[in-house]
Amino acid sequence: MNDRQRFNATMHYQWRDRVPICDLGFWAETINVWKQQGLPGWVSGGYDTTTTDEFFGMDAYIGGPNVNVGLCPPFEHLVIEDRGDHELVQQPDGVQVLRKKYMGSTFHPERHLLVDRASWQKHYKPRLDPDTPSRYPDWDEARRCWQNSDYPRPRVISGGSLYGWLRDWMGCEQISYLVHDDPALFEEVVTTITDCIVEVHQRAFDNGAQIDACAMWEDMCYSGGPLLSPETFRKYLVPQYQRITEQLRRHGCDVVWVDSEGNIEQLIAPWLEAGVNCVFHVEVGTWRQDPVDLRRRYGRDLLMMGGFDKQLLAGGKNRIEAEIQRLAPIVDEGGYIPFCDHRVPPDVTMSNYMFYLHTARDVWAKQVNLKPFGALATSDPVRSPTASDT
Amino acid sequence: MQQLTEAVEMGNLTDAKRLTDELLKAGKAPLEIVEQGLSPGMANVGEKFKSNQIFVPEMLIAARAMKEAMSHLEPLLVRAGITPKYTVILGTVQGDLHDIGKNLVGMLLKGANIRVVDLGINVTPDQFVAAVKEHNASIVGLSALLTTTMLAMKTTIKALRAAGYDSVKVLIGGAPVTAQFAEEIGADGYAPDAASAVDMAKKLVTA
Repeated sequence: MNDRQRFNATMHYQWRDRVPICDLGFWAETINVWKQQGLPGWVSGGYDTTTTDEFFGMDAYIGGPNVNVGLCPPFEHLVIEDRGDHELVQQPDGVQVLRKKYMGSTFHPERHLLVDRASWQKHYKPRLDPDTPSRYPDWDEARRCWQNSDYPRPRVISGGSLYGWLRDWMGCEQISYLVHDDPALFEEVVTTITDCIVEVHQRAFDNGAQIDACAMWEDMCYSGGPLLSPETFRKYLVPQYQRITEQLRRHGCDVVWVDSEGNIEQLIAPWLEAGVNCVFHVEVGTWRQDPVDLRRRYGRDLLMMGGFDKQLLAGGKNRIEAEIQRLAPIVDEGGYIPFCDHRVPPDVTMSNYMFYLHTARDVWAKQVNLKPFGALATSDPVRSPTASDT
Repeated sequence: MQQLTEAVEMGNLTDAKRLTDELLKAGKAPLEIVEQGLSPGMANVGEKFKSNQIFVPEMLIAARAMKEAMSHLEPLLVRAGITPKYTVILGTVQGDLHDIGKNLVGMLLKGANIRVVDLGINVTPDQFVAAVKEHNASIVGLSALLTTTMLAMKTTIKALRAAGYDSVKVLIGGAPVTAQFAEEIGADGYAPDAASAVDMAKKLVTA
């Protein structure tokens, strides 16, 4: 089986040679630390996982031709001010953020361009025009990939974001006020975003797109729950999600995942009602979200990815192995692709991560048809737990 | 007074301002309006937030209504020499640039009539120490969102203790923070959410 066939079989609870072995990624800081622990210099961290996937022998869970359903053209990337180890930059979404120059993990929004109806109409609405040609791939080339039944990677189309983008464009506080002060504008913005997504997808389908999954992003929860009430969510967002997911299903795509960190518990049911049926990187967190518990409560309707507590990787190897074993039954059942619940942080040693990966390949994938690891720069990390690991 | 409490709870800015003015005209003392009208409203909001009956937007609009009403009362309170009993120094620890949770805590603390000095994000231990000295603070509230930056909480507590502020209480919170971690690093209190932070702050200063 190739990565695409394995992904599709897993997400439809069908027979597969093994579960996909993959991960969300690694902070750049983690990779830098690991280079002192034996990781070769050619491996890099950050959002592009090409080299880490190659080194760690990962399967792909995303690939294929894509369309751009977001702001098009993006705002110009500008460094506005140098503040020593920090810099103030304008991002492609128009937001000015303060960020560290040498670390990839955090930034702080300093100024938002989207503040009211006038700024929406001037700066953002024109960038959600589905007619913008740069949204689209070369259709001939894309068709060749879509029509290739042996295409090696899952063909995943971007489904955009209904709340997360707007939250970023306005800031968490301002979007919260907007929902109450000007719900008509809130509704207009999410409807316009959806109009753009649906129309762009339609043009892909009209050009022969065959899609395995759709990837949406929201990040709309924190440790205590969602950033807006389930009632507001149902009123304004569910109908828009439904427009997207019903169109996808009409064209054969029945896996729609949403990437949302935080405690998503109260949004799972409305997401399922909206046709969003896969939780992308179930985050364990301090609220202890648990894929086993989610499967027990939602059954096979809820597909899952992620769900392995990354914090365990910084601890003892026995606990890592125990958690891998605990998740194994639902991995075997299907509908679940396990990996770390977020990017691997730098307090995890490379030895522990390699132990995790070796054990996952043993227990979850049963060592079947795995991709090879890259060569280490130094000796092979320890595999077996010892008494001192407990 | 009950109507004012309800206006704050509902985040009704216009009514909160109007009712505050009416109560002042009726001869109510500013502190009485704060303690019997506004603060109970925010306390109710905190409780509802804690139990997921309301969410971030509802809490923010309530805090905004409270703030507007307070802007009518604060000059009068200052003129009368009335200041909040307790001061909290609040900040996101060094290396961390997240502030939504910290801001929510700040709003609810103000709602409980506690003075808040918000140092912002990426605050060094020395900045916390200097602020405690400058504002004679009773509590330091530390926030972190990342497992990597929460370690700076320990450094900050060490710096406060090394500077001789043994009696200043340290309250910590943030997505990756747990009660166990608070105990390990010598914090005086931990709060899992913004409303609990207010409860814990009150508990710490009255202990």
